[in-house]
Amino acid sequence: MTRPDTAQHDPPTPIGDAAATDPPGAVLHADTVSFRYGRGPTVVDRLSLTVCRGEVHALLGASGSGKSTLLRLLAGLERPDAGRIVIQGRTVAEGRHALPPERRPVGVVFQDYALFPHLSVERNVCFGMSHRSRRERFAAARELLHRVGLEDKAKAMPHTLSGGQQQRVALARALARNPAVMLLDEPFSGLDAELRGRVRETTLQVLRDAGVAVLMVTHDPAEAHAAADRVSVMRAGRIETSAMPDEG
Amino acid sequence: MTPPDASSRPRVLKRRWRWGVWPLLCIGISLLVATPTLAVLASVLQGADEQWAHLAATRLPRYLSNTAILAVSVCAIATAIGTAAAWLITTCQFPGRRVLRWALLLPLAVPGYLAAYAYTDLLQVSGPVQRWLRESLGLGSGDYWFPEVRSLPGAIVILSMTLYPYVYLAARSAFLDHGSYVMEVGRTLGRGPWRSFAALAIPMARPAIAAGGALVLMETLADFGAVEYCAVDTFATGVYHTWRSLESPTTAAQLSALLLSFVAVVVGIEALARWRARFHRLAGPPRPVRRARLGPVASAGALALCGLPVLIGFVGPAAIFTRMALIRGDARAREVAIQFGSNTLIVAAVASLIAVTLALLIAFGRRRSPDPITRAASRLAASGYALPGTVLAVGLLAPLSWLDHQLNDLTLALFDWRPGLILTGSAAAIIIGYQTRFLGVALAMIQAGFKQIGPSMDDAARSLGTSGPGLLCRVHLPLLRPSLLAAALLVFVDVAKELPATLMLRPFNFDTLAVRVYQLANDERLAEASFGALMIIGVALLPVIILSIMIDRGQAKHPTAPPPGNPLA
Repeated sequence: MTRPDTAQHDPPTPIGDAAATDPPGAVLHADTVSFRYGRGPTVVDRLSLTVCRGEVHALLGASGSGKSTLLRLLAGLERPDAGRIVIQGRTVAEGRHALPPERRPVGVVFQDYALFPHLSVERNVCFGMSHRSRRERFAAARELLHRVGLEDKAKAMPHTLSGGQQQRVALARALARNPAVMLLDEPFSGLDAELRGRVRETTLQVLRDAGVAVLMVTHDPAEAHAAADRVSVMRAGRIETSAMPDEG
Repeated sequence: MTPPDASSRPRVLKRRWRWGVWPLLCIGISLLVATPTLAVLASVLQGADEQWAHLAATRLPRYLSNTAILAVSVCAIATAIGTAAAWLITTCQFPGRRVLRWALLLPLAVPGYLAAYAYTDLLQVSGPVQRWLRESLGLGSGDYWFPEVRSLPGAIVILSMTLYPYVYLAARSAFLDHGSYVMEVGRTLGRGPWRSFAALAIPMARPAIAAGGALVLMETLADFGAVEYCAVDTFATGVYHTWRSLESPTTAAQLSALLLSFVAVVVGIEALARWRARFHRLAGPPRPVRRARLGPVASAGALALCGLPVLIGFVGPAAIFTRMALIRGDARAREVAIQFGSNTLIVAAVASLIAVTLALLIAFGRRRSPDPITRAASRLAASGYALPGTVLAVGLLAPLSWLDHQLNDLTLALFDWRPGLILTGSAAAIIIGYQTRFLGVALAMIQAGFKQIGPSMDDAARSLGTSGPGLLCRVHLPLLRPSLLAAALLVFVDVAKELPATLMLRPFNFDTLAVRVYQLANDERLAEASFGALMIIGVALLPVIILSIMIDRGQAKHPTAPPPGNPLA
């Protein structure tokens, strides 16, 4: 099948010795990345960021600080104007060249979960595994749903689930592709305060067990400090500080 | 002293009393407007006579096959065009998109019969196109093949090009809801743009597209003017000819009942599609739409795909009638415009006033007592919209003439005087018929308006001592004003465009613009009708323009951003 988007997403420059220039242990590395929408103001401004293996990295910032746009750049939903993005030692974006999202080892849990309303929970989870056989897909989906504690909901439709359950389905769906990095966009903001802490712990535990590095966007400092191994504060398109929660 | 009892007791009594009045009113109005449907269905009980046997042996198979081919083809073409145009407009950026976004609705203003008249005039043997071809190529009239407008394929093209906006509107709102966002989600899960489009965008929009397609089917089954002029025998024209030339009301009613059963299936499909569409929405607020910028070749293709339907469905007919009015129009044009225009104005205004009043009462009744019976009654009242005009006329004439005769018998017995045919002999019959056909339109608008008024408003008014008619007049009516105006406008325009029911129900010497244009076109005197046709298109443009402006404003909320992946990029 022809890919009509190849004009937009040109193949990246050869990976070369990207790993050598990356900080040791980095799974995801953004190097002086800049971006703006059309001719609008610069949203991400020469930003550099590193997420290490097994790390839960929180990106803290007010709304409009550019953190969601940064997530879109890392996922491949936008192309940076300048800079370089390396994931697992592979350059996925450099200058105006970028790999399309479907070819990056990245999982995304969207703020509103974005479960496909016309597909059952099981089929939502299967969605990203189209390269596998049908039997493998459904077995893998079962296993993932077991991991997030929703085995019994496999046949349910998304609209019958609670917010916390939907969040876990979205997590299982994103995990199905075995991503190296999981991007979480305010994943707990839709849940009520009582539930939030519990869901967060389960979510991060599942991700740690899977050995996936996590970049989590949040505007809640308490959440960032409670959950993350490292907290980067973003303001006006740049990282202002980056520290372990204890140091901060 | 027992003030709490004294104040609470009358209130309880009052509420009970009201509970009885509003639902009864709802049920009463609904049964009245449903009379034609019930009369048509009752005709089946009378059994088949000779006429029916003759019809079944001769014309019925043709009605069946023509109607089936027409309905399926029009629905397929209109769905394809409407969906493709909606996808291009919502998710792609190309030159002309801003204009086409609203221009794609314009064919809604051209009734199928007017498009049929215009294209027949343009493309017939003596028309300008063929004449020019003959003159420039030096051919005789029998020397070449040329597509015939007055044929089944001609009717299919004409109806598809005037009806696709129903699908466009439905698909567009579905794609705006989730189109580009769901594509992004699909791509983060490893599916390329084409596969995301096929696996997500289309399935998620399917219920909306199906609902739009069902509307197209309904309109196709109901169409009389275009198919009649194209000489295609369908059920709708069959009902008319059976009623008129065979002078057989029972057979016409039985034929109507058969058509009605097809319509009922379509209405069922539509209701199911709408019901399903509720679960095909992504949760959460609407997301910004990101449109893919198309390259030059793709842009040209998109422009052609979205522009052609507008050209064929609107610009063509409007230009043909304008040219005709300017070049060939004669002194009769003004007379036609004034006499028939004022007739149309009067019946449309009266009908829309009555329809809005009835719809308001039903909607208020439904709000006051939202029990299943009142709900069912309001649905019944709205269902007349699906009734083809010819069926409506056949179903209404029998009960009305029965009523007329009863009235005459009564006055003869009491006063020794016959008033004549009060209902069937005057414009009353058409106005009653319009209520059945268009009450649903008014009701939909007004119910949407009521939805905007929170129930706390009613509670507040009642806590301040106002309820019942006072609540309706002092709180609801002022808040509902835009909805009432919109409802009145829609009914007015629908009445102005309506052809078959008016043709069959009108009294002698009372023609509306649509009927006059129909007669002149059938007499091959289309030029005289051109001004009237333009007036119909002009009036029908009003709601389309308002709809376009609403769409334009709604669109303004979605910021334009650089493209994500797009299957048609």
